[in-house]
Amino acid sequence: MAINSAWLDSPRVMHAAVALALAYLVALIGYPILYNLLLSVQDVQIGNLLSGDRAFVGLDNYRAIFDDASFGQVARNTLLFTLGNVGLSFVCGLALALFFELRFPGASYLRGLILAAWFLPAMVIGAIFKWLLATDSGLLNQLLSISGLATQKINWLSNPDLALAAVTVANVWYGTPFAMILLSAGLATLPRELYESASLDGAGAWRRFRFITLPLLMPTMLAVLALSTIYTLRVFDLLWTMTRGGPASSTTILPIWSYLFSFELFKFGVGAAVATMLLTAVILVGWLYTRSLEREHRL
Amino acid sequence: MNRRTIARIAGVLFAGVLLPVTALAQKKVELWHVFNLESDMIHGAIKNWNSRNAQVQIEARVLPLAQLNAEFTKAIAAGAVPDAILFGGEAMAAFSSQGAFEDITDLVKSSSIRFGDYYAGPRAAGMWGGKIYGLPRAVNTLALYYNADMLSAKGLKVPTTWSEFSAAAATLTDPGKVFGASFSAVQSEEGTFQYLPWLYQAGGSPDKLDSPEARSALQLWVDLVQKGHASKDVVTMRQYEATNTFIAGNAAMVVGGPWELPRIDKDAKFKWGVALLPVHDTKKLRASSLGDFMLAIPKGARNKADAFKVIEYMQSDEVMSTAWDTGRMPPRDGIKANSQKFPEALAVFQEQMKYAKVRGPHPQWPEISRPIQLAIQEALTGKASVNDALNKAAGSLAPIFAKTPLPQQ
Repeated sequence: MAINSAWLDSPRVMHAAVALALAYLVALIGYPILYNLLLSVQDVQIGNLLSGDRAFVGLDNYRAIFDDASFGQVARNTLLFTLGNVGLSFVCGLALALFFELRFPGASYLRGLILAAWFLPAMVIGAIFKWLLATDSGLLNQLLSISGLATQKINWLSNPDLALAAVTVANVWYGTPFAMILLSAGLATLPRELYESASLDGAGAWRRFRFITLPLLMPTMLAVLALSTIYTLRVFDLLWTMTRGGPASSTTILPIWSYLFSFELFKFGVGAAVATMLLTAVILVGWLYTRSLEREHRL
Repeated sequence: MNRRTIARIAGVLFAGVLLPVTALAQKKVELWHVFNLESDMIHGAIKNWNSRNAQVQIEARVLPLAQLNAEFTKAIAAGAVPDAILFGGEAMAAFSSQGAFEDITDLVKSSSIRFGDYYAGPRAAGMWGGKIYGLPRAVNTLALYYNADMLSAKGLKVPTTWSEFSAAAATLTDPGKVFGASFSAVQSEEGTFQYLPWLYQAGGSPDKLDSPEARSALQLWVDLVQKGHASKDVVTMRQYEATNTFIAGNAAMVVGGPWELPRIDKDAKFKWGVALLPVHDTKKLRASSLGDFMLAIPKGARNKADAFKVIEYMQSDEVMSTAWDTGRMPPRDGIKANSQKFPEALAVFQEQMKYAKVRGPHPQWPEISRPIQLAIQEALTGKASVNDALNKAAGSLAPIFAKTPLPQQ
């Protein structure tokens, strides 16, 4: 026996371990969150950043957000962008994961290749998509016109009614491999025998998917949905590279808005208030996720 | 005492005594800037300084432009600012007015810098409340690049007025292949920077956006885009990308700055030229935007004295004469360009510089620029009429100008 388990199990050691973990959480996660909360109720400007001599303004910064002429548009953009991304990258990721389960020759290599998208920096993806979607010299419009699918050039990124959809597609392309690899890992853990016996009982592909894969994969799927929602709520670089939140603010989502307030308009308090709203959304998603996991466990 | 012990003692002595002595003797000036291209004038200046001043070494930190404001704010909040920083001219007043930069008025007066020789624009850009907070590291402005081959193929002269410009853009347009004109109307400071020359030429000003002058300037852009003489993508094109379309032969004219010269010279496979921006047909006012970065010392810098010496060196004839090599211009008259490249372009930009207007200086310039960007974007994408877009912008700017008016230029 190499490890003295009695010593490890002693209450003192366990308390120390808990204390360490707590200290880590408080110092590296709790402090920034509290600091951000504090900023969001203060009048923070360039002049009082260092001095700390900041007036308490209550909920004025939050009121400034709701009173801002762009608030409705930004909220709508964020909601559509998040729903679109989470939904599409989940569906595409699941489809790809199931496809690679067919284990055809070269499947694992191809799966690795698709994952490459996830390794690229978001700014590179943004620059590539900006070029692909350019109205006049973009590849997509060239393909559409050669194939005869579109007679007119489409202003993917410069039409405010299309730009949000266009950046969503770019971000789905970026986020799909992540969903795929998690779902693939989940699929790999499902017991093969279940599928074999279901096949023997005469269950077709759809029924096997519906009654074995879906329920057993549920915890993984919930995790993917929660994580990709959280990732989507943090998207910044990709949109910044592609549109800077334009045209006419049609792709300005909360993270971009927060950046604009803090680092272009230097209204740090308002920027922090926007960040708090984002944080609240993320915590809500996390809470929903853990709650649904608990329900799964009870079932 | 054997030999190893002696070696060890010597080592300890060296590490403990000699190293700190040299470190004490050698001071450093931490300088932040955003120029990652090795060819930029700042790299030569830093190298020269460091080779001549063994006692005071410049330690440069290059940041991406998008992170400069954020990193600098973080540094202020943490109380760990650099000794000197190259800062965007349009945001200078926002930081100077709130005490984020050292007042260097007295240092400038007792130095070799002849501040009176500077052009009015760059002089004003670093000042707030009558005090000097920053000195231009170089200046730039906007003029009109044209594809000379395309112009002569259509038998056109270089346009000098708005109507000639619009007509030339129409004639030069070859649908699906070439746009007559290009510019940047992106939703950022760059879009404002490109709109202001037209606004000023029409006799307008950012504090009178609900005026016929402001409308005529924006209408000029809207007409170009709506008639298909400029790409609809100008609303997402940064200046760099607008110039790309010119270099690729997809735009016959582009509004751009001297910083594009080395690139155009190297990559454009046609005869090109630079001209003064076309002027309003009846007003005939010359105007352009003033750009580039200011050198400033953040409040709380540890090595203020040496930082100023570095800034003083950056203002010297020696450094300023290298500006033109990389498509930058000195902020004062009487500096002979080192480089003999593009003499005609240099003459044009030097002339245009005389009419370059500083943005502000105004402590809320970023807040002023934002509604202007939105108005441009709404009008160009057809989300709102020129009239409505500009009236909305004027409405949101009125309280800002009521509090702090724009200085007269």
